[in-house]
Amino acid sequence: MDSAQQYLDQILFGVAPYLALIIFFLGTIQRYRAQAFTYSSLSSQFLENQRHFWGMVPLHYGILVVLLGHVVAFLFPRTLLAWNGHPVRLYILEITALIFGLLTLLGLLSTLTRRLAFSKIRTVTTPADLVLHLMLLVQVGSGVYLAVMHSWGSSWFAASAAPYLWSIITLDPDISYVLAMPFAVKLHIVNACITIGFFPFTRLVHVLVIPNPYLWRKPQVVRWNRDPAAGRGGS
Amino acid sequence: MERSRDNLVRRRGGAIRLLAAVVVSVGAYPHFTLGQETATFFKQNCYSCHTIGGGRLVGPDLKDVTQRKDRDWLARFMLNPQAMIDRGDPYAKQILEEARGVVMSQIAGLTRDRANLLLDLIEAESALEKSQFEGVKFSDRPFTDEDVALGHQLFTGRVALTNGGPSCISCHTVRGLSLLGGGRLALDLTKVSERIGGRKPLSAWLVSPATTTMQPVFRDHPLEAEEILPLVAYFEGAAKQVGDDDSVAPLTFFLMGLGGMVLVLGLFDVLWKNRFRAVRRPLVAGGEMRTSA
Repeated sequence: MDSAQQYLDQILFGVAPYLALIIFFLGTIQRYRAQAFTYSSLSSQFLENQRHFWGMVPLHYGILVVLLGHVVAFLFPRTLLAWNGHPVRLYILEITALIFGLLTLLGLLSTLTRRLAFSKIRTVTTPADLVLHLMLLVQVGSGVYLAVMHSWGSSWFAASAAPYLWSIITLDPDISYVLAMPFAVKLHIVNACITIGFFPFTRLVHVLVIPNPYLWRKPQVVRWNRDPAAGRGGS
Repeated sequence: MERSRDNLVRRRGGAIRLLAAVVVSVGAYPHFTLGQETATFFKQNCYSCHTIGGGRLVGPDLKDVTQRKDRDWLARFMLNPQAMIDRGDPYAKQILEEARGVVMSQIAGLTRDRANLLLDLIEAESALEKSQFEGVKFSDRPFTDEDVALGHQLFTGRVALTNGGPSCISCHTVRGLSLLGGGRLALDLTKVSERIGGRKPLSAWLVSPATTTMQPVFRDHPLEAEEILPLVAYFEGAAKQVGDDDSVAPLTFFLMGLGGMVLVLGLFDVLWKNRFRAVRRPLVAGGEMRTSA
């Protein structure tokens, strides 16, 4: 049982990240070479734009801030720990991160219910979309749970997760950093690997098409030149 | 026909290359066990709770342990102490009682071979008049208020640890800390001094924290003796705290986040107040814009 557990830990935290990264890089490159025009978010704003706003805006601004936090903690763990050296600054950072984590969760729930509730959106929803939604829900849900129930994530990420991730990047994996972590932390890591591996086969590839002016461009309106008499619309 | 066969071959080639890359990466997967020497391994994983000839800390003095119990039993216990206790082994239960209920942590990276090497080391060190693992000597001067205050600052991170280790608040809390309390990844340390058995075992434990999570973090960033003393003073003081229980801190924290989220949503609504809410729908619904124009 124990050796089985050790073997499983090695697979999940030592091997899975490499498999995920290999599939990510080969998959995204291959898809870009073979089907460059599928690099799109396949926006459905065109079909419904009311609920869309309350899903897309919190989701995107939320995830961008949360991911930026992960990247900063990964690249500058010492600086982050120094910042958190004053409890007030730690609390400000953690509350800010939680706000954006909750915005991401709300955005995800909103986009998922929109996909299921509107028949037009349901029509353009693929099984991959639903699987991706589920993965992201698990990821963000476990992240928010960790933030609240296993505080203070910004500090212990810098102390334990950052060196673990560096050990992966430098091809010298040291899984001891994560072996005794609570279940939710392990779930967050394993699900991140699964999502990265699944990335090339989903609409998430739009993340790679940068520069991405959606964040600051003026709203664009798609007009349909519809002829009521003919009963069908043009493009 | 020729072209489709070429495509098929090319596609197969791509799949084979992908498979080969995966196999190579798994095959070339680096070692998981730490390539440490046995003495270093002992120092990092055992020394925080055991001495060899220096008396009891959290766990028993290991001098001549192989004469008290056979090597096979010892190796099995080292590999999974909790399992031995759960099985109702009488000697394992006796060890647990003597350790005031503190169960020895399972050691990451410990294999049967490594356990045997450790037992060899313990036997060799037991034969010496003075083992290198006799225990760290700590000052036993009485704690002052300044020690407690410095311990508090070290705990919260206001005074950074000399060797760059993360402050305790990252993962631990103690009673009466502040509104949102300390970290909740690991144990509440309010009663840690009492739990571990007092000043000496706690000081020894802090020399090289040996839990699976702390060990890799503090392996390269050990605490200094000048930091251990005030921290122990603070923990002993914390045990006497009668402040409010901060178990509501996660709820308070969550509600603050929720309130902030509502504010940001309001901000989004204001920032995009001129968003196009109903320009398209009339057009799609029946060409009202066209007729009104």
